[in-house]
Amino acid sequence: MRPTFLSFQTAARALAASQAAMDVAGNNISNANTEGYTRQRIDLNAISSSGYTERYSTSRTFVDAGVEVSRISQIRDPFLDARYRRENAENGKYNTILSGLSDIENILDEASTDGLMNELNNFVSQLQALSREATSQDLALVTRTAAQKVTEILNVYAIRIEEVREQLITDLTSVVINKDFNSIVKNIASLNKQIRAEEIYGNTPNDLYDARNRLLDELSQIANIRVTVTPEKVSADKTIDRLTVSLYDSRTGVSIGLVDNDAYNTLSVNGDKVPLTISMQSSFILENTPDSVDLSDITRYFSSGAIKGYLDLINGNGVYANTAAGESSFRGTLFYTNALDTFAAKFAQVFNDLNDIDPDDTVPGGDDAPLFTSNTPGQPITARTIRVSAQWMEDPSYINTTQTPAETPGKGDNVIRMIDAMNAEHKFYKGDETPENLVFTGSFNQYVVGLIGELSLDVELHKNFSETSDAVLLDLYVKREAISGVNLDEEGINLMTFQKSYSAAARYLTVLDEAVDIIINRMGRVGI
Amino acid sequence: MRITNKMVTASYSRSLNILNRELNKLSEQVTTGRKFAKSSENTAAAISAYQLRRNLKKTDDYMENIMHAKDFLTMTESTLTLVHESVQNAMDRVRAGLNATSSSVERNILAEELETIQEQMLQTLNNNSIGIYCFGGSNTTSKPFEVDANGFLTYNGYTLKDLDPADPADADLIKKLKSDGLTLDLGLGLTVNTGEIDPNSVFTYSIPGIEVMVSGVSDVNGESVPNNLYDLLGAIVKELRKPDGEYDRERLDSLFAKLEDNAGILLNNITNVGAKTSYLDFMTERYEVLNINLKERQVHVESVDTALNIINFENHKVAYQAALRMGTKIIQQSIFDFLQ
Repeated sequence: MRPTFLSFQTAARALAASQAAMDVAGNNISNANTEGYTRQRIDLNAISSSGYTERYSTSRTFVDAGVEVSRISQIRDPFLDARYRRENAENGKYNTILSGLSDIENILDEASTDGLMNELNNFVSQLQALSREATSQDLALVTRTAAQKVTEILNVYAIRIEEVREQLITDLTSVVINKDFNSIVKNIASLNKQIRAEEIYGNTPNDLYDARNRLLDELSQIANIRVTVTPEKVSADKTIDRLTVSLYDSRTGVSIGLVDNDAYNTLSVNGDKVPLTISMQSSFILENTPDSVDLSDITRYFSSGAIKGYLDLINGNGVYANTAAGESSFRGTLFYTNALDTFAAKFAQVFNDLNDIDPDDTVPGGDDAPLFTSNTPGQPITARTIRVSAQWMEDPSYINTTQTPAETPGKGDNVIRMIDAMNAEHKFYKGDETPENLVFTGSFNQYVVGLIGELSLDVELHKNFSETSDAVLLDLYVKREAISGVNLDEEGINLMTFQKSYSAAARYLTVLDEAVDIIINRMGRVGI
Repeated sequence: MRITNKMVTASYSRSLNILNRELNKLSEQVTTGRKFAKSSENTAAAISAYQLRRNLKKTDDYMENIMHAKDFLTMTESTLTLVHESVQNAMDRVRAGLNATSSSVERNILAEELETIQEQMLQTLNNNSIGIYCFGGSNTTSKPFEVDANGFLTYNGYTLKDLDPADPADADLIKKLKSDGLTLDLGLGLTVNTGEIDPNSVFTYSIPGIEVMVSGVSDVNGESVPNNLYDLLGAIVKELRKPDGEYDRERLDSLFAKLEDNAGILLNNITNVGAKTSYLDFMTERYEVLNINLKERQVHVESVDTALNIINFENHKVAYQAALRMGTKIIQQSIFDFLQ
């Protein structure tokens, strides 16, 4: 026998299911433009009433008990998420590098402003003028002023590049690591905790999933992360997902745990070190992290993301890098500082040698008549410290215009040697003058042009990288959106569909009501 | 593939951004007149622009040097002409004196006139009007020509008549004095080899005094007579001042003949200066042409073709406006607009 009111439940469930489906459509429509919102879908199941067996066969036909809302799920493609996050990390790196290199370009570039190259040219012009009248005090003074401008612009370059470097370190430390990275991993861990609690209760906390995915997207812009989900058995019949975020370096295959369930590891920057290092405060270590990983210096495991961009800009030492010791050969601020130092030292050396006309002096690199010195006596000459020597500042004619002042006082032969030195090829070394330390051969002017050329090619390259990666990222965004985004037409159709099914269910209830009404009010009334 | 509104708007705003950036770049090019504001916008062009700037600056420097050398040579030439005039004047006086008189009083008057001319000549040779002595070679700070205790002319401290080309030591000294001069870099491929400037790679623009007032002595009727014009005049003066019995008319004639001969040296020098000046004129012309070429190339490399740029700008503006017009339509009607 079928219970009289069984079908009322079926009708009620149908009404509820349609109602829920309309609610989901409404929620989707409301969030059509919400960033990070994942389209939701109602999962409906038919309820079977034949879930049991009886001792004796009774050949009856059961009608199933209608519909049930099993869950409201999200539509998302984890593969696209992984690709999007990988590309996002590249994008973060390129954009960071591009902005840092542009800062350096603003300092060194001379396309529309005058800089070192211009001062070098002026210095040559003044030397030419001095060669015309070698005994003129006035021209000697003007030549000294031109030389002073060369040293001053080198000082300014060195200071400004140092400022860029300090700014980058501050940004990396206080914004990228402390504010963004560390708070994101903490938030992900706390979301993991909430989600886990909800899931154990059997809920599907879609809003929390969305929040977590949004944070993972943000984190992927900062570092090369990998997100893994492993099933975790919480009880005999309950398995939930356990989300782990790790820093994954694809070159070495090393992964270092960042978030595991509700545990998280934070980073800190050792900004005073050259090169700068990043260390990790670890509350857990993943099983697959090799023992060789030293958590007090995990700098080398950042292979993309904004952090990698910052590291390249801050630590990049170009040809000066000791790559065997793992130093970055990217042309970053350290490289430009070193390159300018090499230039300043060579410039001072060449002119000091030329000004030293004492024929008895057999010691090469003589500083007996230095035109340029360091601002701290006894210290090496760098772009930061180079200045016109105290002797030359005191007496403009300290510059030796001839090698034989007694015999040929008016001859500008030494000035002509200096003019030649401005055009001639020099060998620039990083450190000792050995063949393997040779970094450049050419004139001073060519050195500067070479430096600016390399810089502008790097900017151009990273501009291209950044544009390409923007395009790829947009493509992946579109692909993700194609799956997880809200399409208003679809939702409209769903609304119509479920409105109709709601009406039908209501009609069904009315039919049942009328049927029962017959039994209750009209049966057994024959003859009344 | 499902198309959602967010996809459409994201793509649209990106395209709009790209168009806007392009438009901004074009307008910047028009307003600044430059093809690129930073090297990274066009590295190859920027590198050649730097090279061009350097070369332009170099030609400017060379032209300045040429101007200086020309001024110097003009002064040298006028000085030489003045000296030549003095010598001519002296010769006229002697010629007149020789014909008219032979009394010792008149000879003394002539001698005095010649001594005045001698002094003038010395002053002219030591001309210092631009602050440097133009005949001292690289000695520009002290008078190159002086008169020693015996009344003979010295050049940079050496008594000219005592320098004997036949003596190897003196020959070396003469060679050194002759090659000593003021030099400038005129872009002739300046080379310095281990500290030595290649003399062919620089331009020597001064005339050493020893080329004007030559060294050594010559044999005149069995007597050695200094070669330089100053001392020759001195010798004539000495002869004229001799008392009647000792004065030898023939000796005077032969000294005069020697003076006439050696006056030609001045003309040689003036010709030499002329040759140097015309070489500088040639160089000036060359650098002027080079300068124009470099400037043209610089314009080509660094400056925009304004007309073309404005056309491009207009083209992009049309594209941008079209995109904007589209923008009002990209959010199409949905099924909701038709629900009843």
